[in-house]
Amino acid sequence: MNDGARIRALIVDDEPLARQLLREYLSVHHDIEIVGECANGFEALKCVTDLEPDLLFLDIQMPKLDGFEVLQLLDRDVAVIFVTAYDQHALRAFEIHAVDYLLKPFSPERLAGALGQARARVGKPAAYAASRLAADALPGRTAVERILVRDQSSVHVIGVQQVDFIEAQDDYVCIHAEGKTYLKNQTLGDLEEQLDERRFVRIHRSYLLNLERLARLEPYAKDSRMAVLKDGRELPVSRAGYTRLRELM
Amino acid sequence: MHPVLARRVRLDLYLAAWIPVAVLLTAALAIPDRRPWWEAVALGLPLTLFAAFMSLAQWPLTRALPFDRSEPIRFIATHFVSLVVSVGVWLFAGAVESRVLEMLPWFGRALERYRLDAPTLSVIGALLFIVVTMLHYLMITFEDARDAERSALEAQVQTRDAELRALRAQINPHFLFNGLNAVASLAGSDPQGARTMCVMLADFLRRSLALGGHRKIPLAQELDLAERYLNIERVRFGDRLRLEVELDPDAAHCVVPPLLLQPLVENAVTHGIAHSITGGVVRVAARRAAGRLEITIENPAESDRPSSRGSGTGLVNVRSRLASMHPGATRVECREADGRYRVDVSLPAVEPDVVREADVRAEVAPLEVA
Repeated sequence: MNDGARIRALIVDDEPLARQLLREYLSVHHDIEIVGECANGFEALKCVTDLEPDLLFLDIQMPKLDGFEVLQLLDRDVAVIFVTAYDQHALRAFEIHAVDYLLKPFSPERLAGALGQARARVGKPAAYAASRLAADALPGRTAVERILVRDQSSVHVIGVQQVDFIEAQDDYVCIHAEGKTYLKNQTLGDLEEQLDERRFVRIHRSYLLNLERLARLEPYAKDSRMAVLKDGRELPVSRAGYTRLRELM
Repeated sequence: MHPVLARRVRLDLYLAAWIPVAVLLTAALAIPDRRPWWEAVALGLPLTLFAAFMSLAQWPLTRALPFDRSEPIRFIATHFVSLVVSVGVWLFAGAVESRVLEMLPWFGRALERYRLDAPTLSVIGALLFIVVTMLHYLMITFEDARDAERSALEAQVQTRDAELRALRAQINPHFLFNGLNAVASLAGSDPQGARTMCVMLADFLRRSLALGGHRKIPLAQELDLAERYLNIERVRFGDRLRLEVELDPDAAHCVVPPLLLQPLVENAVTHGIAHSITGGVVRVAARRAAGRLEITIENPAESDRPSSRGSGTGLVNVRSRLASMHPGATRVECREADGRYRVDVSLPAVEPDVVREADVRAEVAPLEVA
């Protein structure tokens, strides 16, 4: 096997023993080069950017960011083999075209099978973006509880209860939370679908409001109103938005 | 249906048992020298067969009148009436048969001869009836004993079954999968460590199975189990999981339902330690104050951890088990402050005397799984 065909792999697992086992099993596969090990989701994001691996061995239950959240935030495409003790995420894993889903503990033969598929996958241009699919394949269609925003150097984890409102800005959304704003590359419609519809109301084409922040509604002009937030800020409410608000209140 | 009729083999054996009766009856009919031997046989065999089948009718009667639970007068009166009727019917059957035999050329005046035997036959019939009735009561006694044994066994199996199911609810299988994965890893790098981990896992499982079979166990044993669990998790999490166990000696003998704390320490690990990069201290403390047993379980809590999906069942389980043990006298409270998550469990401090015995049994008797 020539050097050009080597697959650069990154191991992401919070348990040292689990990483060590993978490293040992992988040592007999000479075309797999382990470029790094990460113990949590934040490290994983950084390593994927810095080390540019082709293949990710990804645990799901991890501190800070779980495996799916890591994939959502990745800025480059990478083949993924999930390695976890939990079988209940398998469906979701294959929805985002994971190469394979290994259940701990697994045999070296099972790993070899997964690698066979990974070799076929790596290097081919992906017809999909794992990060985009990961965002769509939400856990069992339940609403997300935190919003992840990545800027150059760090990841912000914003609990939905911290969010005041979200504003549409072309292809981005601007999330207003606890006096700060975060810019995320996502449309307001996409985000609205992921959030709990009983908490977040689309009061306007450009505004998604956390109902808990609403103080009162004031008439603004004929047929339109203004939402006054508890901190005094004001947001426009469209006629359709007013109807939706009335339904919820 | 009569148990003798339930299977062909039984019926054959039953009829075989009547052969001596047939011989005796035939002899009794032949001895007075009133009739030729063939007439005694022709009369004796059908009469025996008839008696054999009539006796089966005793089954519902003996069932309806249990020997030990019936009024004596009613018992005796009923059986007496039954005896008179049965013997009467039997004698009448013999008379009918003799009348039928008379129609044949060799048995002239058979009915007349039969009349002379009626007193002897009455006595034989009555004796037979008494023996058959007694045998039926004997059979019922045996059957009841066997039924009781079987239902006791069934009840035991069901209890054990319920215990195992309860145990499954207390112990998360992923704990085992992850533990086994750690063993697989250690097998390559640290074979001695792998063996130690195997023993730790086995010890924990054996003990939880044995303790799960009891209704109540001393807190000291419950905490010992929790500590074993946490020590296994420490192999996986390394320095991230640190452990503090404080047991007030006064509280050690108080009883709790087995594996009560298991869901709570498991939550402390899976929601506390597993979501933290640096980890922290899981603290388990128990003390006794003012007649109450106060148990606290504390773990580090990351404020930005995802809210635990599907959790809460562990806590609900703990609450309901405690409530069924001490209705209205228990409290389970959770709160989160200063980066620590804390569960407080409070129940009446009970220290029953039977615990010692259970103590010993848990130590020596591993669970037998059928």
